Amino acid sequence: MRTVAIALTSLFLGASVSAQEKSLQQANDYYQKSLNELFNIETPAKAEVGSRTGAREALESEVPIDVITAAQLESSGFTELSKALMKLVPGFNSPRPTGHDGTDHSPPFTLRGLNPDQVLVLVNGKRLHQSSLLNVNISVGRGTSGVDINTIPLRSIERIEVLRDGAAAQYGSDAIAGIINIILKGYGQDSRASVSYGRTSQGDGVVRQADVFYSVPLKNDGFVNLTVEGRDRGRTNRAGPDSRFGNAIDHLIGETDAQDGQLAFNAEVAAEALTIYAHGLLDRRASSAGALYRLPTDARNNPVLYPNGFLPMMEPKISDYSLSAGVRGVSEGNVRWDLSLTRGRNDYHFYVSNTHNDSLGNGSPTSFDSGATAYTQNIVNLDLAKKIGELNLAGGAEVRHENYQISRGELASYVLGTASTIAGAQGFPGFMPENEVDASRSNKALYVDARYDVSRALSVEGAARFENYSDFGSTLDKKLALAYRPHEDVLMRASTSTGFRAPSLSQAYYTSTVSTLSSADATFRQAGTFAVNHPVSVALGAQALRPEKSKHQTVGVVYQPTSGFSVSADFFSADIADRIMLTGNIVDTVSPQVKAILKQYGVQSARYFTNAIATETQGLDIRLNFRHSFEDHSKLKVVASYHRDRTMITDVYPLASILGSQTVTAVLNDTTQSFIETAQPADGYKLWTQYEAGAWRSTLNLNRVGSYYYFNGSRFGAKLTTDLDVALRLSKTVEVALGGNNVFNVLPDKFTYSSNLFVSGSGIIQYPPISPFGYNGAFYYVRLKLVL
Amino acid sequence: MTYKWVLLVVALLAQLVAATAQASQEENRLMAVFLGRFASYIELPDRASKLFVITVIDENPFGSLLDDLYAGKVIGGKPVVIRYATKVEEVGQSDLLFITLVNPRARQDAIDYGAKHSILTVSTATGFAERGGIIQLDFLQQHTRIKINHAAALKSNIRIGAPLLSLASVIRGDAQ
Repeated sequence: MRTVAIALTSLFLGASVSAQEKSLQQANDYYQKSLNELFNIETPAKAEVGSRTGAREALESEVPIDVITAAQLESSGFTELSKALMKLVPGFNSPRPTGHDGTDHSPPFTLRGLNPDQVLVLVNGKRLHQSSLLNVNISVGRGTSGVDINTIPLRSIERIEVLRDGAAAQYGSDAIAGIINIILKGYGQDSRASVSYGRTSQGDGVVRQADVFYSVPLKNDGFVNLTVEGRDRGRTNRAGPDSRFGNAIDHLIGETDAQDGQLAFNAEVAAEALTIYAHGLLDRRASSAGALYRLPTDARNNPVLYPNGFLPMMEPKISDYSLSAGVRGVSEGNVRWDLSLTRGRNDYHFYVSNTHNDSLGNGSPTSFDSGATAYTQNIVNLDLAKKIGELNLAGGAEVRHENYQISRGELASYVLGTASTIAGAQGFPGFMPENEVDASRSNKALYVDARYDVSRALSVEGAARFENYSDFGSTLDKKLALAYRPHEDVLMRASTSTGFRAPSLSQAYYTSTVSTLSSADATFRQAGTFAVNHPVSVALGAQALRPEKSKHQTVGVVYQPTSGFSVSADFFSADIADRIMLTGNIVDTVSPQVKAILKQYGVQSARYFTNAIATETQGLDIRLNFRHSFEDHSKLKVVASYHRDRTMITDVYPLASILGSQTVTAVLNDTTQSFIETAQPADGYKLWTQYEAGAWRSTLNLNRVGSYYYFNGSRFGAKLTTDLDVALRLSKTVEVALGGNNVFNVLPDKFTYSSNLFVSGSGIIQYPPISPFGYNGAFYYVRLKLVL
Repeated sequence: MTYKWVLLVVALLAQLVAATAQASQEENRLMAVFLGRFASYIELPDRASKLFVITVIDENPFGSLLDDLYAGKVIGGKPVVIRYATKVEEVGQSDLLFITLVNPRARQDAIDYGAKHSILTVSTATGFAERGGIIQLDFLQQHTRIKINHAAALKSNIRIGAPLLSLASVIRGDAQ
């Protein structure tokens, strides 16, 4: 027994001594290096997210954090942030939807297989607002409003911190799958400009992009940084032949034609004892995509206007801006404080062209203003932090006000005329006056976050956040995290927390209906999506939405024997209750009671949002980082990662009993279940390698996405794509690069069944619109960069 | 069996409380190294002291690393000693003052003290050099950069060698 004790004690003390010696040896090695060599040493990435007690090395964190650098973003070859992160962040998924109305123009993204609205996005630590677009079609993210991160110019970004853990106890609603904290370029950055041009191997999807990042240094390391970017992305079309119409290619199945104008600024003015700061983002986007083609013989066609049929074009204009301003300082008592205001707004204005309102006959307009949705948030935040010995204490208060609006379209876009019974603009009928919404809510939060360094080997962090929402009441969430270093090279970490996601205003209030003629009694009725508090929804059993509640556990280990090599593995689980989903169309054949209700309210069919299911998500993340500087000053960096997650539905909350046999199937069927459980790859790995020698820098990025299933059970196999970027520095100020994404032109599996005219391996839609890497095939580009 | 577990827990707790080396904190390690390397490129006014004194004021981010690293080392022909202070009044006669004070006024007091006593002041605080500090260490884009207030150094009768100046962003105007 005694021998065991002595052995254990010796082992631990031995490890301690060894650790000290190793650290000292490393420092002594550095001491022998020349100044030039010292300045060339790359330090580990630091992250601010995950703790309110200050930035620290990402690998030292109690919770798993990835840091994506500006250099990695640039070498990805992409000009849109969601595509770049898809290639750099394990578990990040951003399919390119097509034929999904508004979703095509503002594609959602997901993290760890969860929903787009279960990821909190921050810019410089301040909450970024969600899009006003509600994804209601059959796509990944159905029934959610996510953040449109493609509104952020890539060249304005210094780094991106991805926290892979629940953190609602620290940051509030939405931080269930994790947090993406986008840090804008700050002090000490070079001004630069770049232009790029690229296109797919089929010659379409031409992308022209130009940007300028300009930094003005101010006194005391203050700065004003401005980024202006323009991006013109041409459409791609991978539509198959339409067998109904002479095998013509009459659809547009591919990426939208989109033009973005973007502006970002980040500024700090350092006064005597205060720092005044502000940052802002602005994006204006015009986009265009096709709906389904209306054949000449289609009842929805007017042969006078369109003798050959027509393809309605959806052409929204999206405006998005955010602005944060604040002041921070340190009090006499060494309390760090930060008071800020944040405002964000997204306007999504729906326009359709090359269409008509059939019910208006030959005199129908062919383009329409179909109305708009808008979301606005305003936040006042006060953060406080103080270090007391080994205790890092932080806390604060926040008040947030949100507003969601739906504005009607022009009369012709929704009206039911007399020429036919098919009302509204084909492609996207306008919002009706009855659909107009102007809904607001506010919430107040108090939070505390404490980290205590018990010793240099052990730190404990605890956090709690109380929130009160004006619509659904209060929440209290807690987090406990532990980091323990049994040996200098090894960090063990674990966390447990609770979280929540407030129902979005769009889920609670979205209303979109069309007039239709009832076949039952030849009366005109409404059909579509109704707000949860609409009388017909209430009569059908809808209840006020409750917040989604979550429980998280993460356990991981980091092994870092040298500063240039680390490997980590983290297991996670997230149980989410009260997940909100959109029901299917509830029609009068469901039950006699439903028939009576629908008739009473003049409704043909209705759907609404409800707390529908509980899920369990479990997964694994493995990371490997390696960097090495060779004797000839060339450098090699490798980042390898593996991600796996699995979401299972563990409970289903039946709808009101008046729905008879459809109390479950009205909300959960094969299609909706697949979007929760199997429509996103269950696993994937990435291998990012960069080699820099002299004026040359080469980047190779391998991405394997695992298999996934589409709504009818079709399985799409795992695929490996390869990206390559080769850059040559011609002088101190000029660099050119050539590259390709998916250079071996890998495509997803085609649909294997052929019974569906539209969706089949030889039909109009041949590839799955939920393919994580799209279906464009290879894309090649050239880039020129100038340091100003 | 229970006894075994108790021993295991005791051993574990002993390990937790033990001050192991600051793990993989590369920036701290580099900062610790840079302090001595900077000092080797400067020329201070003649002092009576036969020791080269490096003082850390306020929080010590290095653990025992500075003491261990500079044990037995010599800068300018003088053995190095490391001291720790919590306020300016405790600094005394030093050759290099590493300032970690977060309070701007306290930090300015330390800068002024250094200037008055011809001490090489070093810090990672934003705006440090422009406020009269001599060497500002920045970690930007995962690399070390330095900003030197040459005017402030000259005003304190501190000469900085060309090799160090050539690697720095240099403020040559009037020192604060």
